[in-house]
Amino acid sequence: MEYQIEREEKEVLGDFKPELIPDECGGGIDDYEEALHVLMKFVGSMSSALEQVSGRGANAIVYQAGKRMGHEAGKMVEKTDDLEKAMQELSEILGIEFFFDMWKPANQTGYTVENGNETVVKLIFRDCVVRQTLRRTGLPQKGPLCYLLYGEIVGAVEEVMGIKGKLDIDHVGPNACLKTLTIKWGGK
Amino acid sequence: MVKIEIDEDACVGCGSCVEDCPNDVYEMDEAKNKTKVVNEDDCMACLSCHEICPAEAMEHKNIHVAKRLYIDRRISGILKKII
Ligand code: SF4
Ligand code: SF4
Repeated sequence: MEYQIEREEKEVLGDFKPELIPDECGGGIDDYEEALHVLMKFVGSMSSALEQVSGRGANAIVYQAGKRMGHEAGKMVEKTDDLEKAMQELSEILGIEFFFDMWKPANQTGYTVENGNETVVKLIFRDCVVRQTLRRTGLPQKGPLCYLLYGEIVGAVEEVMGIKGKLDIDHVGPNACLKTLTIKWGGK
Repeated sequence: MVKIEIDEDACVGCGSCVEDCPNDVYEMDEAKNKTKVVNEDDCMACLSCHEICPAEAMEHKNIHVAKRLYIDRRISGILKKII
């Protein structure tokens, strides 16, 4: 008997030559949704396996990966030494996957706070693909994948402002996470 | 501007929201043994209080609702049929 795989979806058949560049991705929205879920599960389990094997070293590896992505993203933004301007522009560039704003308590006048040779700004991440992935995989909102985001923001700020930065976590929630970005002047 | 409403009939006065909120938005009303909103302006809509409240006693109005792409609609659909 001939072996046959039963599939729910109908297979798309067409002609294709190697030199053809497809100008459409094909597939419907459900295909993308399914692919996204597979990808989230894949990245989530890769992250927990990485942590299992490398311990805290996993955070450092993912942080570096994030930083690279951040430097690439930062190249799309005009260089500035104004932290608020940099944040505003980066928010527009990274804003689809990482929808973030500057945040301050109601009684604070400006977003940035000067602290010796450091400037500090609080960032609120409202939409975040990392949070989506962690919740999809049942992982806590910490660990290597969060370091991807830390790295990306730090890398982007370093690229735009040409200085050293670090991102610390203040609070994580299901709908938003608050982080503190510190940049060190003279720390090139 | 965020608007927080507490359902006082639902609140069991456990104080979890007071403990958990990073921005001291809530305080316990000792006389009523219910939570009360004292610092709404500092709410950043993280919704940690929603996650911790055993009575689902609060509602946040006019906030950015984060995308919930992690919800697998196919699985949810199957679960809805079973539960
Ligand atoms: S949403 Fe977050 S900041 Fe707002 S009251 Fe709840 S825990 Fe506090
Ligand atoms: S967590 Fe819920 S039940 Fe407990 S005090 Fe706060 S509102 Fe009331």
